[in-house]
Parts: sequence; structure tokens; C-alpha cells
Amino acid sequence: MNVAVYLCQENPDAGGGVNLDSVAKYAANLTEVTQVRSLGVRPKLLPESLAVEIGQQSFDRLVIAGDTPGYFKPAFTRAMLLAGRDPGEVRLASFRQHGAISLDETERAKAIVACAVSGVPFWLAAVPKFTTVHADTLVIGGGVAGMQAALEIADAGKHVYLVERTGTIGGHMAMFDKTFPTLDCAACILTPKMVAVAQHEMIDLLTLSEVEAVAGVPGDYRVTIRRQPRRVDQDACVTCGDCAAACPVTVPSEFDCGIASRTSIYMPFPQAVPNTYLVDEASCRYVLSEGTKCGVCARKCPKECIDLDEVVERAEVEVGSIVLATGYDVYDAALIERYGYGVYPNVLTALEFERLTNASGPTGGRIVTQTLQHDKRAKADVWVFDPAGEAPRSVAIVHCVGSRDHNHNSYCSRVCCMYSLKFAHLVKEKLPDAECYEFYIDMRAFGKGYEEFAERIKQEGTFVVRGRSAKVTGADGRLLVRGEDILSETLLEFPVDMVLLAVGLVPAHGSDLLATLLGVDSDSDGWFSELDYNGDPTDTERGGVFVAGACQGPKDIPDTVAQASAAAAGVLKSIASGRGYGSLSGLVLSDIEARARELAGKGV
Amino acid sequence: MATRVNPKLIDDLEQYGAEDVSKCYHCGNCSAACPFSQGSRIFPRKSMRHLQLGLEKRLEGDLEPWLCYYCGECSDECPREAEPGETMMSLRRWLTSRYDFTGISRLFYRSWKAELAAVLLVALLTAIGFLLLGFLGGDIRIYDGPGAFLPSHVVHWFDWAMAGVLVILLSINCVRMWWFTLGREGRESGTHVPLREYIARAYLLPFHFITQARYSRCERKRPWLVHLVLMLSYLTMLVLIMFFLESMQSGPEIDWRVHAFGYAAAVGLVATTAYAMWGRAKRAEAQYRHSHESDWIFLILLFVVAGTGVLQHILHRADLEVAANIAYVVHLMGVVPMLVLEVPFSKWAHLAYRPLAMYFAELQLRAVPSRAPAETARPAATS
Ligand SMILES: Cc1cc2nc3c(=O)[nH]c(=O)nc-3n(C[C@H](O)[C@H](O)[C@H](O)COP(=O)(O)OP(=O)(O)OC[C@H]3O[C@@H](n4cnc5c(N)ncnc54)[C@H](O)[C@@H]3O)c2cc1C
Ligand code: SF4
Ligand code: SF4
Repeated sequence: MNVAVYLCQENPDAGGGVNLDSVAKYAANLTEVTQVRSLGVRPKLLPESLAVEIGQQSFDRLVIAGDTPGYFKPAFTRAMLLAGRDPGEVRLASFRQHGAISLDETERAKAIVACAVSGVPFWLAAVPKFTTVHADTLVIGGGVAGMQAALEIADAGKHVYLVERTGTIGGHMAMFDKTFPTLDCAACILTPKMVAVAQHEMIDLLTLSEVEAVAGVPGDYRVTIRRQPRRVDQDACVTCGDCAAACPVTVPSEFDCGIASRTSIYMPFPQAVPNTYLVDEASCRYVLSEGTKCGVCARKCPKECIDLDEVVERAEVEVGSIVLATGYDVYDAALIERYGYGVYPNVLTALEFERLTNASGPTGGRIVTQTLQHDKRAKADVWVFDPAGEAPRSVAIVHCVGSRDHNHNSYCSRVCCMYSLKFAHLVKEKLPDAECYEFYIDMRAFGKGYEEFAERIKQEGTFVVRGRSAKVTGADGRLLVRGEDILSETLLEFPVDMVLLAVGLVPAHGSDLLATLLGVDSDSDGWFSELDYNGDPTDTERGGVFVAGACQGPKDIPDTVAQASAAAAGVLKSIASGRGYGSLSGLVLSDIEARARELAGKGV
Repeated sequence: MATRVNPKLIDDLEQYGAEDVSKCYHCGNCSAACPFSQGSRIFPRKSMRHLQLGLEKRLEGDLEPWLCYYCGECSDECPREAEPGETMMSLRRWLTSRYDFTGISRLFYRSWKAELAAVLLVALLTAIGFLLLGFLGGDIRIYDGPGAFLPSHVVHWFDWAMAGVLVILLSINCVRMWWFTLGREGRESGTHVPLREYIARAYLLPFHFITQARYSRCERKRPWLVHLVLMLSYLTMLVLIMFFLESMQSGPEIDWRVHAFGYAAAVGLVATTAYAMWGRAKRAEAQYRHSHESDWIFLILLFVVAGTGVLQHILHRADLEVAANIAYVVHLMGVVPMLVLEVPFSKWAHLAYRPLAMYFAELQLRAVPSRAPAETARPAATS
């Protein structure tokens, strides 16, 4: 069979991707291939002239190879028809779908072309070697994704190490009051899961821990985990809080996103798991002075369970599978100057608002603006959220902050439209007289029940303004939001008391390091790449390593949980059958090529 | 009546320089960033939309592109790299070709080769004409006075003839502009602008022409300054040539006033065109980031004209009469195509359209209903 290969790239920014020249040379050397043409980036394809070109050649199959060749298929199919050839013989060699994205993956791209040339699906020919699988599993990240995966595996009777780098599991969901679209209480769903994780005999929970090194092969990894000292004995602490009451240091609370403060020895939040105090070494006076100052908490503890001299430990675990569930961070709103975040005290990010409106948050769930108060210790006036503070008379919510923007992140963060609507509801619920404006470009309400949710919020009296607001400025103690309402084609200025920025999602800091340690791919935005966009959404490049939740790309809780369960199923499958897949990258190009020929010979 | 759309319009505009219009997702950032976007005139997003939809007639009647000075704030703020600023620039080119009844402008904008060929052809004809004139009636060794190669009174006469043709062409285009923006728009919306408003606001024309006051509203002042200097230098030169050509060429005893103005204008022209060319080559500022071929042809032509104008003067002063005469012919080879091609059919037409647009924009605000529509005058019968 004679085959023609056409190389077409879709993404103009895919520089640093696979080496196309090398792929073209390789394709030209395949025995079946009679001609190779490189058409460059986004070629303008005219079926008529392609048909003339095809007519002059004698080949039976046409392969379109490139990052996303599907874009170009219609033109080639039409051209094949016009030229009187079988349009069914237009085959795609999609680099992106099969994870050949970077320069190192040029060999993979060649294999993808070889399979398309033989007319055999890539996944049939490129089957990694089977490995035996150790029955223990490591889950990295203790958000809702990591907890779900850990619980599924542990409930099946298999042992799990759950590694979380902060002092508590729960992830972002633990910060929320309500979840869209059902407005269920987030804690009511999450707390039982957290407790189940803590109590599960098959789960070893390692908080304040991070993966430091990974050795071994798929199915048999040896992972070194660095354990930050907690400095409080987890089992002895009775959470009386005497230590914190005595601690002289206050710093902004991470869990409250800095809208409230905590002491240096603290518990992230009352339902934290493990439910114990911990010492923040970055601010502890004792630690910073290398044991020469303070140490008052250790003296005050009635259980004598504080050991301020505890040091870093390392644990080595042997596992067969690893689940990545490291979630996300939110985009730094200060990078977008025009919204005045960090300049005006009442411009808040979404996460800050989640804490403000949370019944267990610093104001007990009262939505108030910041008030200027005198801080005796700092001897300065500072802005604080006082539960007795003034409620905003109007609130503006700005969508797509840092998302869908070429100057920041060009992707859509998927959850911010919905959580913004949730915010509007919460504002209206708690402050019925307040005005609430949503500034949006497109309303992404794609999930089950989401559209209905969006409609309902609009009926609650929220003003929905089509057009992203362009600027926030201060005026007479209030805030002025300026933007175009594109439906009425008018430039509007809204005086409001509070602006909520619907910040987008970015990969959790440190994800890049983890990707390198584990040998998994991440896309150009930094999200971990799944093995196959459609077919293998939880496997990765590396055998035995799975992805779950927002670390694979922005997603909401239902999708996160579903993916986590799917990843757990993949892990359990390999444990139950005793064999898992090795790494795709472990396969040699010539093997894939040979297998593709063999399958083609069998008429697959 | 529903408006007809032209789905090909967006492709057509690509040839005028707007390449990224389809990227726009209508966030409105550009309109909010634009220092000129105010009241009922909110742009450039609206133009992006009209283009995406292919609302040809609406765009034809729009004055907004002329109210934009390409300060580039919108393009800087655009999250999609849709280049709204460049789109407005392209729309000005497109409108110029729409106002032009001959179709020459359209040809020039869509094919720089055609424009260049036309410029060269006119330059060639000019050379032949003036060389014939020179050799038949004068002496190449004499620059001015009796027996001059190109006697100034003849050139002067030629200038006025050319100006006449030019004014006629440009006036027709201006009338078409009026029809698209005030006449036709008014007829369709049942309004008109009272004559007294036309008269009362007429001062706006020279005002905007001379001061370019609106341009100075941009945050960055330099583009306005450069443009103002260029325009004033050009205007000074024009006045000198149209009214004082003879005294300007009268040899050593040039009137000092003519002299001072002439030098100032020459320096202004050379400096600003050189600056603009440097800026475009380096893509130094927002308004220089994208260059259409017509921008280059225009700039080079202007630079040649200014440069040779200065050169002939220097050569004449240095008593190199033959060389001065040659430089003069080359100068005219630049001047004539610039005036007969660029002014009515290309970029320079904006010297008329821009002030007119500001004048018309004021008038549009003062439109009144033409007559009370009969149906609504009577209260609807209710039973
Ligand atoms: C303001 C806001 C409101 C939202 N509201 C809703 C809602 O109402 N409904 C809904 O469905 N979705 C909502 N979402 C989305 C929701 O937060 C996510 O879908 C969900 O939290 C994803 O869970 P996850 O476990 O994948 O990630 P995360 O919740 O981010 O958890 C990741 C965990 O991994 C840990 N970790 C990170 N890196 C490492 C590392 N290197 N080593 C060890 N541990 C690590 C982190 O500390 C964290 O505990 C909202 C999002 C935002 C920003
Ligand atoms: S989900 Fe909505 S707010 Fe978030 S980036 Fe996408 S469109 Fe913008
Ligand atoms: S800023 Fe860009 S995307 Fe937004 S409306 Fe203007 S041109 Fe369109």
C-alpha cells in the first residue's frame, strides 16, 4: 500500500514541540510512504488544488500528521473524494492526543505516524510492557480528589499513603461554606470524608509532608518523603488551645486567606485533620532564634506534648502506584493592576470572600467591608474585617480574572462563573437590600443543573452585566467599577462598596518539580497531562502514575470526585490483576513500528 | 427593515490591515480603555462587532474610526490580542476607499503594487513633462530669473491647476462621506440636522484641522506632538508654495519671513517623517506596530519630497544650478504623485475626513426628527 504523509500544525505557538523535520525524515524512510509534504502552521487548504495534487500521485492512503490534525481532515477528505480516491483512507496521526507534545517526545510522534501509516490505532500498537504491581499506593495531595481516591482504594482493602504538604487535609473545599449548584453545605460533605481518612486503618496519613525523591520502576517505586516537624505530639494533644493563647506571634492565616490572623502555634481550622496544633516554623520566635527566645507554648501545654526542637524526618515508602492529586492555586490578582487588588481594601479575591462568608470564618459569615482599626501591637492603623463592621450596600463580581486573557492565562478556569453566581446568591441571601452586579463575558454554566442555577440567581435580583469590567478605582471611600455593557453599548460606572475578583485557577506551586520527579508530562499551562485525552483520562505517560482532580486541569468538585474514583479504579485494577502498565516512554520506536506492521498484516 | 450582512467583509478588511478581528470576544475592555470613547460614542468594540457580523452599511455610516487616533491603549488592554486599534486604522483605510467614488483608492489599498506602479507612472510623466518644458523654454544652467529651466510662474500656475483638480476630487469624496454618515443615516432614522447647526458648528472644521485638540487627550502626548509638527510644517509649506512660490525661489534676496518659515517647515517635515519611518521600522510605539504597505509608500514619498526640496535649495544656494534643477525635477516627481494620488485616494485624505468627522459627529448629536410620523401622532384607539 502506498501512503502519502502531510504534516500540518494547528497551534502557532507550539514552538519547542516535537521536531517536525525529524518526523518528516522518518516518515519518508518508511517503506510504504511515497511522499511527505510539510504544510506548516494552519495552512490555507483548498480541496480543489489538493485534489489536483493528489491526482498526480499514486497512493491509496493519506496520513495527516500534526498536533491536532483533525482540524484539517475535512479539506483532505473532500480532496480525496474529488480526486476519486477512498475518503475513508484519510488517517490522522494526532500528536497531542497521544501525548507527543515536547521535543523529547519526537520519537513518540514518529511512532504515531508509523501507526497511522499502517492504519492501526496507536493504542493498539503501543502497548507498554506489563509489570508486576506492589499492592501499596501513594496519593499525593489531600484535597477532595486525594481523599476520594485514598478512601476508594483503602475501602477495597488496599494500603494507601496519603501525603499532604499542609498541616491538614481538606484542600480548597474545606474553605467553602456552600457548593454550587446545590448550595449544599461543603463541610457536611467534606468533614465525614476527612474523619474517615483519619480513622481508616488502611490509610497512613502523612501531613506536612512532601515527595522528595522517586526511584524504582512502574509497579515498584521507592519514594522518599520529607516530613516537616509538627512539633506537637499528634496523639497527645487535646486541642485545649492554651499554647495558642500564650503565643506572642500573630501572622495572617493561610486558611483564612489572610483576612484573619492566627498565632505561630495554631490549628488551621477547628475541624482540621489531624485535629492537632502545629508550629509554623517560618514565624515561630523559638525556631527563628534557634532556641534562644520564647518557647512559652511548650511551658504552657498541660499535656507537655510540644517539642519545639523536633527536626525534619524522612520516610521511605514502597508503592506500586502513585496518584497525583495536588489540585490548584488561584491566580495572583495583584498581577492585574487595573483591578486595584492590594490597593483598595475592599477588593477581595474569591477565596477571601469564601472565608468571609463562611459561617465558621472570621466574621461568623457576616459579609462586611473592612474597617480601619488601631493595632496596638503594630502601633499602626490596619484594615480588618470586624464582625461588627458595615455591610456593603452593593457588591460587584468580576468574572474571568486572569483567565481567558492572553496577557495572563488564555484558558477558561471553568469554575469561576459558577462560584461567582454562588457568591451573588450568598450576597442576596445575607444582604437582601444590597445590590449585586455580575460582570461576565460568557456565562459558562455547562454542568448538570448549572444552567438552572444560573437562571435562578438572575431571578434573585442580581444585575448581570454582559462585559468584563475594565477597571476599578477608588472614589469618595467607595469603589468605582468601569466597564462596557456590550448589550446596550454603553460605558457604565458602578459605585460599589466591595469588588470580588473571580480569580482563575493555576497549577499548585511545586507541580513542575513533581512532574520532573515522577517523569510525567505537563501541558504548556503547567497542568499534568493525561495519557490520552479521550481514552485514558486518569493514566499518565509514566506507568503506574495516575492523575485526579484539578491538578489535571481546572474542574469543579463533581468532576474532581469522579476522576478521583476513576483513578482509584485504575489503581485497583492493576493491584487486583497483579499487573500494570509500564511507561509508554519505555517503548522503543522500532517495536511499535514492528507491531503496527504485524497488526496491519493481520488485517486489524 | 432588517440589515443585510456581508459575511465576506471581515476577509475583505484583512487586505486593509485588520487581521485579528475574529479573535474579539466582546469583553469591552477596549471601549473602557479608550480615552475618546464617551457618551453615545462607545468604540472600538462596537466596530469589532459590526465587522464580525459584516454590517457593511452600518460601518460605512460610522464616524468612530475617524474619532480614533490610534493611541493604542485599547490594543494594550485587549485580552485576546484582537488588535482593536489596528482594526480602527484599517477601517479608516476602508472608509477612505468607500468615500472615493473612482475606485482608485480601493485598488491602491488592496494592491500595493498597483499603488506603487501608479506613483511611478505619474512620477515618470511628471519628469517627462517638466524636462520638456525646461529644455524647450529654458536653460538647465539657470535655476531662477529669466531663462530659468523651470520658471516659477509656470510651476505656480501648474500648482494651482493641480490644486483645483484635487479639491474637486476630494470635495466629491467629502460629499459622499456626508451622505453615508449624515444624509443616508438621517433619512433612514427619520432625522435631519437643521441648517443653522451646520453654520453654527462650522468653526469646528478649522479648529480641529489646525489644533488637533482631541488628539492631545491621549495619555501619551508624543504621538500628538509629532503629528502636530508634521501637519503644521506641511501646512506652512503648502501656504508658501501656493502663495509665495515666486518669492521663495527668488534667489539670494528671499524675503526673511519666507525664509524663516521655509526652514522651520522643512526641518519639521524631514524630522517627523524620519521619526515615523524609524518608529515603523522598529515598531517602537503602539501606532507603529503594524504597517500597511500604503503607510510605507506614503512615508517614503513624503520623505523624498521633503528631502529633495531641501536639497534643491542647498544646491541652488551653493550655486550648483544644474544640480539644483535636477533636484527640482526629482522633487516634482515626488510632489505630483503625492498630491494627485495620495491626497484624494490614500492616507492623506484623512486631512479632510478627520476634521469633517468631528464636525459631523457634533452635528449628529443635534439631529431633529424630520417630521412627526403620522401614525404615532394620533393616540392609538383603545377600546
Ligand atoms: C473560590 C472558589 C469556589 C469554588 N466553589 C466551588 C463550588 O461551590 N462547587 C464546586 O464543585 N467546586 C467549587 N470550586 C472548585 C473546587 O475548589 C475544586 O473543584 C476542588 O477543590 C478540586 O479539588 P482537588 O483535590 O483537586 O484540589 P485542592 O482542593 O486544591 O486540593 C489539593 C491538595 O493538595 C495539596 N498539595 C498541593 N501540592 C502538593 C504537593 N506537592 N505535595 C503534597 N500535597 C500537595 C494541597 O495542599 C491541597 O490540600 C471552587 C473553587 C474556587 C477557587
Ligand atoms: S469559568 Fe467563567 S469566569 Fe471562569 S474563566 Fe471561564 S468564562 Fe471566565
Ligand atoms: S478588548 Fe479585545 S476582546 Fe475585548 S472587546 Fe475589545 S477588541 Fe474585543
